[in-house]
Amino acid sequence: MALQSRQRTPNPHLGAYYGIVASLFVSLAILLAMAEQLGWSHRSIARLMILMPMILYMAIAVAARTLNIEDFFVSGRRVPQVYNGFLLAAITVGGTGFFAYTGALFFAGFDGLAIGLGWVCGLLLAGVLFVPYLRRVGAYTLPAFFEQRFRSRQTRIVASALQIAPIFLLVTAEVNIAAMVLSIFLPAAFWLCVLIVILFIAATGILGGMRALTWSGSAQFITGSLGLAIPLTIVAVVLTNLPAPQFTYGEMLGSLTNAEAASGVATADPGSLTGLPGHEPAAAEKPFLQTFGMISEAGYFALFVCFALGTAALPSLLARSGVTASVADQRRSTAWALLLVALFAITAPAIVVFAKVLMFGDIVLIPMQGLPAWFNGLSEMNIFRATDLNGDGSISVRDMLIARDGIALALPMLAALPYILTALIAAAGLAIALAASGSHLFTLGASLADDLYRSIDPQPIILPRLLVAWGSIGAIALLTAIYLLIADVDSLSYAVTAFALVAATFFPVLFLSTWWQRCTVWGALVSMATGFGILFLCLIAGGLFGIAETAAGTAAAALISAVLALAAGIGTSLYGPAPSATDITFFEAMRRPDGETLYDQAEAQAEIARRKTD
Amino acid sequence: MTEQAIEIENAARDRHQLRTLAVAVTTVSVVLFAVAVAIIYAFALNRIWFLHFPLGFYLLAQGLLIFAVFVTFWYVRVQEKIDLTRSMNEEVT
Repeated sequence: MALQSRQRTPNPHLGAYYGIVASLFVSLAILLAMAEQLGWSHRSIARLMILMPMILYMAIAVAARTLNIEDFFVSGRRVPQVYNGFLLAAITVGGTGFFAYTGALFFAGFDGLAIGLGWVCGLLLAGVLFVPYLRRVGAYTLPAFFEQRFRSRQTRIVASALQIAPIFLLVTAEVNIAAMVLSIFLPAAFWLCVLIVILFIAATGILGGMRALTWSGSAQFITGSLGLAIPLTIVAVVLTNLPAPQFTYGEMLGSLTNAEAASGVATADPGSLTGLPGHEPAAAEKPFLQTFGMISEAGYFALFVCFALGTAALPSLLARSGVTASVADQRRSTAWALLLVALFAITAPAIVVFAKVLMFGDIVLIPMQGLPAWFNGLSEMNIFRATDLNGDGSISVRDMLIARDGIALALPMLAALPYILTALIAAAGLAIALAASGSHLFTLGASLADDLYRSIDPQPIILPRLLVAWGSIGAIALLTAIYLLIADVDSLSYAVTAFALVAATFFPVLFLSTWWQRCTVWGALVSMATGFGILFLCLIAGGLFGIAETAAGTAAAALISAVLALAAGIGTSLYGPAPSATDITFFEAMRRPDGETLYDQAEAQAEIARRKTD
Repeated sequence: MTEQAIEIENAARDRHQLRTLAVAVTTVSVVLFAVAVAIIYAFALNRIWFLHFPLGFYLLAQGLLIFAVFVTFWYVRVQEKIDLTRSMNEEVT
């Protein structure tokens, strides 16, 4: 039966709407900058700069509320490519990238660059290897894609169950970062900030699902970008006289090396420092430019490949593969996301170099000029702690304990700029963390509702489909809040583990499903089980045998698991019976660049069959 | 559909698949090879300075990212041409 293509026209006024959002955000910053000069307290400025945009994001989510299934799960398949690119970039980097990656670069310098490079190459791999085919299929979730590809409900259930661990780790990491920012600037305890963030993202997901996340997330991406770009450009002009921090921070590298040497930073012996820094305040003892001082060459490569494979197969990113109007649009939106993530990855070292030059430069001057102005401000925010341990009147690098996740927040204060710029960076990081955490929460909730619950109740009779999704999102949000109140979470470490789990579990099976016609349902199941099982054992045994204790160790274990999963998938597919003619027909249809979305075709045909039966 | 039309369509499909595979392999391998070389020779490259940066650092912090962006947009353009050719062939048949 021929099915008519649905006309999918995006709202032509989107540019104007988001222009208004950007203008509102900049106007608020300007108004608060004027208020600061008029004597408003720092607390009031920070609270307004953080809470007003949150009200705006919630208003957008309310306006984008929906009860339509297609809108709820894939935003009506009419999101323009650039806006989808915004969301893909926000999910890839997230609040963890914004704060924890920047902090990791502060401590690890050259060695931390593997993560940024991994994100960018991961998006390239996703765009080339998976995204066009996932868009052609158009399933609402990644596990639903596997069911379509192999006509196997078991594969869908297994994939859904295996994605719970990594996505839950990512939700936790992102909510932790967002709550950390709120707890610094609002007069509220950390647990209350966790509840605020959880309620915010759960409400966004429940109100409008993917639709609300898309439009609210686009506003969050825009404010996040502006909030980072404005303070950083001002710092760049102050330090280098040019408003292009990405290209001018090279001039500061000489000053940085001198400041590090004067503060007592010496070249670290490879192996003397234990991997990427944790979230507890620590001394930054490794020179920024030292090559492979904290992570070995092999560890660097493993970390890069782990993040590349993890990004390429990340279910929260791939769940957005059905939201644009066509395969070509989806491919282009991944390219836009790659451009935006690359821009952030190029910018992050500039933030770090500027912060380090200012901090270490001032510390050296302490014996002659006393404590710098930023000293108390950063101490109050629990970002910086220093004591003169040896009592010689000066502070060396070992006397300074710096919180990894606070480096980006510290930059405007280090440059002695108005407080509004600190609040602006906080609002920006919070916006990106909200966009990413909301998307991860929705991915998990949608999967539990549409993949696991639907396998029990295929024709939603007991509970309507949306009600189940709302319940899943609410339940996971509650679990995340409880977990965060009990556990001490290190966002970067959680993100590394999550990307490693995704790389080992989903990359091999996705690669085989989209590029190898001979891949069978058993091959897919064995591949997923092998990748997840081996890495899980490595992670569990980490403390026992020293495997997967550090970020590089986890990444190396993920690579080994991914290779074994690939081999297991190939071996099982070749050993078992060949795929059926229907599987081959579906594979060929999936590889066609045009035509109606296969998932929509299957849903329409199932609906017709149901009506005939009734 | 006649036998000849099926043959033509299969030939168009195979040509499309082969071109898609070739452009995917080229895109991914070029970028991954460049990254691998930059990591392996990072020590040696860092002895050379480029735009105030040590070259190894510059490549891993900026150069390869910019290169990946260009390669991706090139890939999108080429793949769209390949897809368009197949769609036009199908319309003709």
